[in-house]
Amino acid sequence: MALTSHVTEAAFVERRNQDWAELERLTQRAANKNVSALEVQEVTRISPLYRDICADLARAQAARYSAPLVDYLHALTASAHSVLYALPPRPRFTFSLRGKKSALLAFPRAVRAHWPTMLLAAFLFFGPFLFGAIASIAEPSFAFRVVPESQLRPLVDGYAKGFSAGRQAGEGAMMAGFYVNNNVGIALRCFATGIFGGLGSAFYLVQNGLAIGAILGYVASQGAGGNLLLFIIGHSAFELGAIVIAGGAGMSLGWSIIAPGTKTRLASLQSAGRDVAVIVSGAAVMLLIAAAIEAFWSASSMPAGVKVAFGVLWLLVVLSYIFLAGQGEPWERT
Amino acid sequence: MMGEVVHAPLDTDVAIETPEHIVFRHRVAGPARRGLAYLIDVFVCYFTLFVVGIVVLLASGAGDIVDRMQHAPQTTTGMGVGLMLVLLFVVQWVYFVVWEAWKGTSLGKMALGLRVVTTTGRPIGFGGAALRNILRGADVLPIGYLVGFVTMLLTSRFQRLGDLTANTMVVMVDRARATAPVRLWPPAEPYELASIPDRVVLDAEERTAIELFLRRRGTLGPAREEELAAMMMDPLARRHGLHPQAPAAAVHGRPPPRASRLLALLYERAANAGRGEAPPSSRHETAGGRLSWR
Repeated sequence: MALTSHVTEAAFVERRNQDWAELERLTQRAANKNVSALEVQEVTRISPLYRDICADLARAQAARYSAPLVDYLHALTASAHSVLYALPPRPRFTFSLRGKKSALLAFPRAVRAHWPTMLLAAFLFFGPFLFGAIASIAEPSFAFRVVPESQLRPLVDGYAKGFSAGRQAGEGAMMAGFYVNNNVGIALRCFATGIFGGLGSAFYLVQNGLAIGAILGYVASQGAGGNLLLFIIGHSAFELGAIVIAGGAGMSLGWSIIAPGTKTRLASLQSAGRDVAVIVSGAAVMLLIAAAIEAFWSASSMPAGVKVAFGVLWLLVVLSYIFLAGQGEPWERT
Repeated sequence: MMGEVVHAPLDTDVAIETPEHIVFRHRVAGPARRGLAYLIDVFVCYFTLFVVGIVVLLASGAGDIVDRMQHAPQTTTGMGVGLMLVLLFVVQWVYFVVWEAWKGTSLGKMALGLRVVTTTGRPIGFGGAALRNILRGADVLPIGYLVGFVTMLLTSRFQRLGDLTANTMVVMVDRARATAPVRLWPPAEPYELASIPDRVVLDAEERTAIELFLRRRGTLGPAREEELAAMMMDPLARRHGLHPQAPAAAVHGRPPPRASRLLALLYERAANAGRGEAPPSSRHETAGGRLSWR
């Protein structure tokens, strides 16, 4: 292979280098801020400059110009490419209330599209939940096998007192932080471990269901069950719903690897991943709402009737949202 | 030489073809560099948390904070602890998502010149950032990112589970600066040009080898420089009818060029001569042989 170009490297560089400098400046500005921060003339400059540098790179490679020059053109092409082909508009998270692309409607649609794993997740959570509750009511020492006795006893004392005192503002804020950190973290971990064939999610669902059921049953067996129910009724629709949904999303992820259908396992995982990203983000939002209710409402000194009405209302809202919102338009798989 | 020699790439490059049919490469970052970037991120996060913690401690009267938490939390203490717990959540689950969706990188990655892109070289967007970072929860298992580390080693693009699912990879941002082409310095003298053939043909490998040698010539001792140059000169001299040991007879009573200088002359003639433009050594030459085109 002899050298083919009729232009020396130095002459080539000299001729083209102003365009490169301009493209480099524009690319850097666009990468640092946003494409929309550029002037209109500047944006329209980028694509001809980009096409030119693509040609320059091809020419430099064909002419075997020196490695640093080719590397430089490579780097400049790559960074211009990432600006030019950026997903419009960055970041892609747009929030609209109406229409096909609405984030509010995409969530329940995605959940319904994955109904088999959601149903399985509900069984895996509420089955052990009922078992734990019934077993602990029948035989309170059963609860100690699931949750350490040292954690259960203070709970009974706490709920036996009732809510006449309410909570101080500071305590509410502290508990909000605790619920956000703890509960959302558990749900996200429950989802993430689903990638191991769904086993991780199944484990977390069963474990959490059993533990929550056992706590409920134990506290009830010690005579403070009414207070505990009054405490959890306000936020349980959001919290338990979100745990089940996150677990179901995790099992969908695992199932996409086990049974990829006609796709490769990797392609199947990636297409399931796009679906469940929507579901998990929605579940996280549900948990944030749950944390706020749990911290600032559930322990308040409201009359029992108000709390029950509040809880039932939210239960209906959550159920009808998940089952009905966005009906009619099928979930568009991306 | 017939056809292109196909080399198995030694570097971990991923080729990306654009709609313009230009292929460029991204160099994929390995576990060590990514681990280091992660440590920087962790340090930044927890240092911030520590500073906020100090402020909270001071604001809430310090001292018996634990004691008060257990009995009757005061308003400021409770709010401070709540704030810390929310920040802990942000550090664990939100920090990376926001940075990567917004800038395509995090502080630690930025410090090490890393960037997250899709496997087709595009920005990853919010969904991709959320997915790959929530799946950290699986990659960290059982301890110290063991699952993620093993998956990285098993994939050609060093992808952990989160990367595989979100179809992303971490690449090194190529900040290649334009450098000046290799120049002959001092400029060729007529007697030197007379000592080499009018037409010098180098193939791609020869040219690359000579260029790399010329670029690092300054870092070598004179004896080593001559030794390496002589090794490269051998086949070239034979092909161009130069005698390796005594490349050219003395012209005008001057001693013949040494092997290193001769190599530079051959390179200059092959790369720059006879192509419609005057050799650059005769024009806009600056001290040190650098042409400032940046």
